[in-house]
Amino acid sequence: MMRITSAIGRRTLLKTAAAVGGALSMPAIIRSAAAAEPVKIGCLFSSSGTMANIEGRLSHVCRMAAQEINAKGGVLGRPVEVTVTDPASDWPLYAQLGRQLLLQEKVASLFGCWTSVSRKSVLPVVEQNNGLLFYPLHFEGEENSKNVVYLNSPPASSVLPALEYLMSDDGGKAKRFYMLGSDYVWPRTINKICKGYWTSKGFKETSWREQYVPFGFSNFQTIVNDIRKFASEPGGQPIIVLTVVGDSIPAFFKEIISQGIRATDIPVLGLDVLEADLEGLDTAPMVGHLNCWAYLQNASSPHNDRFKAAWKSYVDTNRLPFRNNVVIDPMVSTYDGVHLWAAACQKAGTTDTDAVRAAFAGLTFDCPSGYKIGMSAENTYVSRGVFIGSVNDQQAFDILWQSDGAPKPVPFSPYA
Amino acid sequence: MSERPRHRPPPWRQLAHALLALAALLAAPARADESYGRDAVVRHLCEAKSEPMAQAIGALLTAVAAGREEAAWGARIVAALDGKRLLCAPAGPRLLRDGAVLRDPVTGREAVAPDRLPNAPFVNLRTRAWVEVATAALALFAEPGGAAASAQVAVLEKQYAIVPETALAALVERQPAPDLRDRLLLVRALQSLEAPSADARVSAIATIAGDPTARNRTLLAALAARPDYAADPAVRAALDTAMAHIDTWLRVGEVGAVLFSGLSYASILFMAALGLAVIFGLMGVINLAQGELIMIGAYATWLVQEALRALAPALLDWYLLLAVPVAFAAAAAVGMAMEATVIRHLYRRPLMTLLATWAISLFLVNLVQVLFGTQNLEFVTPAFLAGGTRVVADFMVTWNRLFAIAFAVGILALALLVLHRTPLGLFVRAVTENRDMAECVGVSTRRIDLLSFGVGSGLAGLAGLALTPIYNVNPTMGTNFIVDSFLVVVLGGVGNLAGTLIAALGIGQINIVIEPLYGAVAAKVIVLLMIILFIQFRPEGIFSVKGRR
Repeated sequence: MMRITSAIGRRTLLKTAAAVGGALSMPAIIRSAAAAEPVKIGCLFSSSGTMANIEGRLSHVCRMAAQEINAKGGVLGRPVEVTVTDPASDWPLYAQLGRQLLLQEKVASLFGCWTSVSRKSVLPVVEQNNGLLFYPLHFEGEENSKNVVYLNSPPASSVLPALEYLMSDDGGKAKRFYMLGSDYVWPRTINKICKGYWTSKGFKETSWREQYVPFGFSNFQTIVNDIRKFASEPGGQPIIVLTVVGDSIPAFFKEIISQGIRATDIPVLGLDVLEADLEGLDTAPMVGHLNCWAYLQNASSPHNDRFKAAWKSYVDTNRLPFRNNVVIDPMVSTYDGVHLWAAACQKAGTTDTDAVRAAFAGLTFDCPSGYKIGMSAENTYVSRGVFIGSVNDQQAFDILWQSDGAPKPVPFSPYA
Repeated sequence: MSERPRHRPPPWRQLAHALLALAALLAAPARADESYGRDAVVRHLCEAKSEPMAQAIGALLTAVAAGREEAAWGARIVAALDGKRLLCAPAGPRLLRDGAVLRDPVTGREAVAPDRLPNAPFVNLRTRAWVEVATAALALFAEPGGAAASAQVAVLEKQYAIVPETALAALVERQPAPDLRDRLLLVRALQSLEAPSADARVSAIATIAGDPTARNRTLLAALAARPDYAADPAVRAALDTAMAHIDTWLRVGEVGAVLFSGLSYASILFMAALGLAVIFGLMGVINLAQGELIMIGAYATWLVQEALRALAPALLDWYLLLAVPVAFAAAAAVGMAMEATVIRHLYRRPLMTLLATWAISLFLVNLVQVLFGTQNLEFVTPAFLAGGTRVVADFMVTWNRLFAIAFAVGILALALLVLHRTPLGLFVRAVTENRDMAECVGVSTRRIDLLSFGVGSGLAGLAGLALTPIYNVNPTMGTNFIVDSFLVVVLGGVGNLAGTLIAALGIGQINIVIEPLYGAVAAKVIVLLMIILFIQFRPEGIFSVKGRR
């Protein structure tokens, strides 16, 4: 998917240089000691660079899940060992480290990537070497590789239900749509799908407007003026479909707050807005704005309570530099991924890629979201429940709506 | 596609609701009078469905207007609903959580806590509009001339369509302040556009024309297109006059908005560039750590805020002003340390300075990451910087931007004062014009270098302070400013503060004019192209300094 904090500049360049330097002077892969003949899995999550703040915690989630599995006797009687790398938010480095993990470290599978661009960079590596990449982010869809397990939802099962909600009576009967995104593949594909969807519902091209901003853009004054103007035109209730990423998210919210726009005037559907993005904002004037994910921290289920407690004690015992009470969707997706992989290996009786992939069909797992998530023989997508969240004044999301079951994932949107 | 949202009722239910609403309407107020009761209100709110909740709130407001209910009780219930403190068991008790105490929502008596606390009904987008209206209206009933009355009337203006008619009439009657009364009358005019009599329509249209906004223009245009309105010549004429009047003001507002946005963007560019104008412009040091000095100013501001929160909470609202000397001093200290340890040895090797300051910038970013973490810092928005005001038509001035503009003017004045009215400024200018000669007449150029680097860094720190209400504050925030700063300084002409000012104004204004036409991405490209062309023809920038360099 997405989430780039600032434009690629001299700093990224230097970081690459530093990372390459680091790779030359010492192995970039840090081994963790374990018992004899462990099964290795590899992590491709950046713990430095622009993605570090949120992506970095996913490696720790991997370790936590592996610990849980090992406590129950491991996979096929062997302990699971997690090999962590740091691709330093540098897209080509994901491919390089991925190849290294598969060929030199002989890991059984890979867990990694946040942005769509990093996934696209690893894709040829796993396809050439017949590896498996577990990808934990919701994304633009339009991809179906047998070497990638898509742990999160394609737009058809996350974005479209949220739009449908906003167009319903309870959601305020949205009739007009302002699409604002960062300028790259994820927002553009999502908006293309949205437009196809609205056209199928009988909306005319005059009922939407599309705007893109560069990465790291934060001067939203003119755009919010434009939004107010759009909102006062005839045609019904307007909403904003927000696909800006990274630092643009809080900057945008700051501007609409100071221009006095509330959720009851123009609701914002923030497709990349996570609990972690609300840190640093006074959310009282933002109450009611929406997002949609396959997991929200406030999901009520015993599995969620257990997961949150486990993460809290994991953060505390390892003294990690994260808030121990913030859990976000990609963390849960990663956690699900490790457990699904272990179950598939157990079922297949081996860690061989082809056998494991064949074993995916019919697998289920009790996700912390409260849904029983599952996989089918049809593709390597995981069917997840859907949540629509509503910002509350505690810098978190209340659950506004959730799907009755886990809908069947649709990799290719008919609207794209 | 996945399944439909659970909250949407099937068509027959919608029809049933519509029929019920119609029936309620036909049954007239007499029946509403009989059925009103606190218990019914609480029961309907507890149903957690949009329609009954909205009706309950409507009934509550009508009852308060008629004097059959206390505004205070209504306000308490609505606040509890909004704050998720109204707890409803499906069949069991309904409770109101009041701090640690549980009360009966109807009587207010203390209640016994059940084993497991029931859930609070959820306020969705549709009911939220009702909650906002009720909160505002009930506050106005309780205290028509309260401090927040203006903001409360603004809520009613926005959601005019759902304000109950009788409640509005009562609010107009009880409002002592003439200006607020006029605004409430406007809300009534918006409602009575549908009035049957032509006179009422004409007067409503005239009232609405007094508030020229794009929304009202849209409303009137929709009326003008309707045959029943267009048929009556008096109404038709009133509509035409009103729309022409609104159009004029909308154009004025648009010009104002473009100028203000341009000015506000320019002030940000200018503040970010000013420190660099001193360091690069006057001293010739290519300081790539300039953005990090801005970041240090912002972090210093945050530290002041946290210190005030801990030591003197009463002064918390004034942290931005109290942080001025701190932000300046912190950034200046870091800048001077940089100068004394690294840059001093590299004055004759500009390329080396570039590399060294780049390294320093990375060092500072990572140092701050280690000390404070990577997340965005949270700043309290002081009351005087929250929100904004509508000046004319849809032209809105937000206080945080106005603060940035005023602050930029202040910094400019300070910089000019230091450079042109103090001995330090005199020496700086002397060293800039001719370093060797200045040294010959006894100016300690080493000391001047150190001090002017300190001033330039301090100015960057102040920019960081002024940016906190607008931008995100995190360790990498400086990166966003460094390119723009160099553009402004180079375009303005090296060594000239007036040039920096003109360049910032130019870039800011051009950006803002292009942005709505071609989008933010294209605006950046076009502005960069224009700068490249300009530099081709005038490499020395807008203003060039005469003298030996």
